[in-house]
Amino acid sequence: MKKSIFLLQKYSFIFSVETIQKIYFGGFIVLILALSYYQIIKGDYYFKRAKNNYVRLIPLRAIRGSILDRNGKLIADDKASFNISVIPYQIKRKKDPLFREIAKFLNLDVKSLYRNYNKNLRSLFIPVDILIGSDKITALALKEKFADAILINTQPQRYYPYTYQFAHILGYVKKATARYEELKKYGYQPLERIGFSGIEQQYDAYLKGEDGGDSIEVDAKGKMVGFLGKQIPKKGKSIQLTIDSRIQNAAYQSLEGEKGAIILMNSDNGEIIALCSAPSFDSNHFVKGKNIAKLLNHKDSPMLNRAIQASYPIGSVFKPILALAALETGKSRLGTQKITSATTFFCSGELRLGLAKFRCWATHGRQNLHQALIHSCNIYFYNLGLLLGPNIMSKWAKKITLDSLTNIDLPYEKKGFIPTVKWKRKKLKTAWFPGDTFNFSIGQGFITSTPLEVVTAINVFANNGYLVVPHILKNVAGLNSELATRTYLGASERNIKKIKKGLRGAVSEPGGTASMLRALNLQISGKTGTAQTRGESHGWFVGYFPYRNKKYTICVFLENVGSSYVALKVTYNFLEKITKDNDFL
Amino acid sequence: MPSLRIRLSDLKTIIVCLLILNVLSLLSIYSSLHQEGEFINKQILYKQITWIIISWGFLIFISFVNYRIYYYSGYLLYGINLILLVAVSFFGKTIMGAQRWLHIFGISFQPSELSKIAIIILLAKFFSQSSRKGVVRDFLLPFVLVAFNALVIAKQPDLGTAFLLIFLFFAMGLFSNVSKRYFVYFIISGLLLSPFLLSQLKDYQKKRLTVFINPNVDPLGSGYTIIQSKIAIGSGKFSGKGFLAGTQNQFNFLPERHTDFIFTVVAEEWGFLGGLFLLFIYWMIIKKILDKTKELKDSFAYFLCLGISLLFFIHVFINVGMTLGILPVVGLPLIFLSYGGSNLLIASVLIGIFFNICRSSR
Repeated sequence: MKKSIFLLQKYSFIFSVETIQKIYFGGFIVLILALSYYQIIKGDYYFKRAKNNYVRLIPLRAIRGSILDRNGKLIADDKASFNISVIPYQIKRKKDPLFREIAKFLNLDVKSLYRNYNKNLRSLFIPVDILIGSDKITALALKEKFADAILINTQPQRYYPYTYQFAHILGYVKKATARYEELKKYGYQPLERIGFSGIEQQYDAYLKGEDGGDSIEVDAKGKMVGFLGKQIPKKGKSIQLTIDSRIQNAAYQSLEGEKGAIILMNSDNGEIIALCSAPSFDSNHFVKGKNIAKLLNHKDSPMLNRAIQASYPIGSVFKPILALAALETGKSRLGTQKITSATTFFCSGELRLGLAKFRCWATHGRQNLHQALIHSCNIYFYNLGLLLGPNIMSKWAKKITLDSLTNIDLPYEKKGFIPTVKWKRKKLKTAWFPGDTFNFSIGQGFITSTPLEVVTAINVFANNGYLVVPHILKNVAGLNSELATRTYLGASERNIKKIKKGLRGAVSEPGGTASMLRALNLQISGKTGTAQTRGESHGWFVGYFPYRNKKYTICVFLENVGSSYVALKVTYNFLEKITKDNDFL
Repeated sequence: MPSLRIRLSDLKTIIVCLLILNVLSLLSIYSSLHQEGEFINKQILYKQITWIIISWGFLIFISFVNYRIYYYSGYLLYGINLILLVAVSFFGKTIMGAQRWLHIFGISFQPSELSKIAIIILLAKFFSQSSRKGVVRDFLLPFVLVAFNALVIAKQPDLGTAFLLIFLFFAMGLFSNVSKRYFVYFIISGLLLSPFLLSQLKDYQKKRLTVFINPNVDPLGSGYTIIQSKIAIGSGKFSGKGFLAGTQNQFNFLPERHTDFIFTVVAEEWGFLGGLFLLFIYWMIIKKILDKTKELKDSFAYFLCLGISLLFFIHVFINVGMTLGILPVVGLPLIFLSYGGSNLLIASVLIGIFFNICRSSR
């Protein structure tokens, strides 16, 4: 063993073992002095405090910030709810008669009190709620009768004055208990309320505020004898949305009885004026903890926000995007043929491809781009798609963000899907067939998008070549949120204009597929779509219109209604309601 | 076998002290698991009994392992400890908001406890060798190794242990041959950096610091524990309320009472006399270690013993100071007394190393 390296050298220590021993000794003396201070000098004081007094914490829940619509109307708010609670330790021996009396007084089944008691029991010294959500008069009457035996516990409770109309946008609040394991690292407490889905979840950090509480001393009888401290709960910040509750309401009414979605957006800055999905649910049920299993298992999925969380085949709505891709590319896939707005194809009502027949919905004769957009001629777009090839179509569909999240400020947004030749080879292990190209060029086959993605895509035409990010938040506690962003798509203004002419023609010209909307006198442009799917076809209308110095983009999507006709009718009723009948916009 | 007799007589005091602590630990945990006269969590008591047996096994085994092995395996131990720490951040179990536990064969273990041994050995290795080879080898290298380890632990987050490691470096360094200038620079730069470091603290850690200054700021959270702890200790008065009679403890007012606040249970039930006796036991252990240190000729052993005594003292001082409200709540357990296997195990291993040093230096 190399002993030399271990030999202790004699250093000139500032610190020696003797010094550190003195330091340790000093430390122990400090501890003993502190111990004797508490136990000998102040011993009697603390003994009294421990013997006669119990410290109790009465949590005070923070009031959650309100949510207002763009006109300042309340759409979510906290209301006081009165819970009756008891302290188990205090009523230990007289629980049964007490519960019986309370039940008799309220004309209730005594079992419900026991059920709540057993459900909420945490510790012998923490108040347990036995009656939840009673009104003020009842609570005061009970207090008068039973005095110290019960406590009245005022809790803020979320209330949504509009029930079904706002359910998808707002979401709801619940106690964090269910998701406590994942939430606690963000500083949540199990009994704290937290937003689940919608705006309540997205902006929970602003809305939630900070819980506080009273720390009080009570005697053995449960009477308060001292006050140790108070932490005043901090109210959450109120937020204002870009939604107009009147228009949201009208949208919900227009969807009555259907499955689908309506979106109305400001074309220039992406402010969402209405975003409605049907069928819907009542957010208040979640707050009150009612049985929601029915909602979750319903065959029409009322919890699903169809505007952003489900993607569908888009049908002819894809045609203007294909037209833009063709004009921008300017020539066929092989470079042999020029493509301009003057390029024509002949529609005989069907197109043969080998043994398969691809049909148009009518016989249109010779069509140029403008006419094809107005009439929504399938044959024209089959030919156009065949000339361009699938790669260019996929490229432009992706460019116009038909398969990317719009990044709207709502949680759980889903994105659509754009097929590519490569994807088909890799995932389906088959080649891309001309039939796939045909389907793709009329928005059928593998392509799917959410209604909101369709809105942002078509909005490029309304916004003369710019993409916007849709958003719902207008301001937080009076401070404007700066969410509006515009991105240039990279298509020439000339080509955009040509397609806009076609989209306008679809409404304004005779024989246009959306000419039903002409009677609205709104200068509306747009494109209908009938998307085939298993079961009845989906109906689409996407369009835009100027109104009082502002421009709006609208999308109406209806699940399994057979054709775009129903979508047009709903669009008509909705727009009539918010412009002609009422002065909402 | 004369040597064996000499060894035992020398170490008898420490062994007796440890046995007393074991008994006191079990009694206090047993009492703290009662609520209103009912024994509510037997599992924890059984676990602690198992840990005490295991830790004695380790203590005896380690006392037969030549301590110079640690000199040569200093880096290896440090490396293993780092790997375990990283493993904890990936596979670790989160208990009470901190990711400190590693689950192996159904046993939860805290690798941050192992760091305490690894760092003491590493520092002893460095400082026993330092013969003024320049700032990098004497000072920066050990500092970077310790600081990195502390940083990984602080991330868990376990601020108490992280600070403890940095403190060990500082305190053991002052006994070394390394130029004291470096340590002065270290303090100055530490003070300059402190505003930045404070801004890195998690909200609950900041809260603990403010609450320490004024417990009434947060009477519901951290402050609540301190107020309750003071009431419990104070109400024990001179001779205590007696075993199983601590009302504050029994009535569930005191959170964490079988782990970090175990001293409160002792002081409430056994009073000032009990608290004094407990502190005396700790003092005896630390005094015995220092007495031995004075006689050592081997520099590696000298620094190992210094490190061990420092670690024990800091644990006792910080923990008891915290329950008395004179120091912030940092979550260092009371060695040999608090419930928890990892801490008991490493403290026993350190005693084992000390025993081997005593044996070898004869």
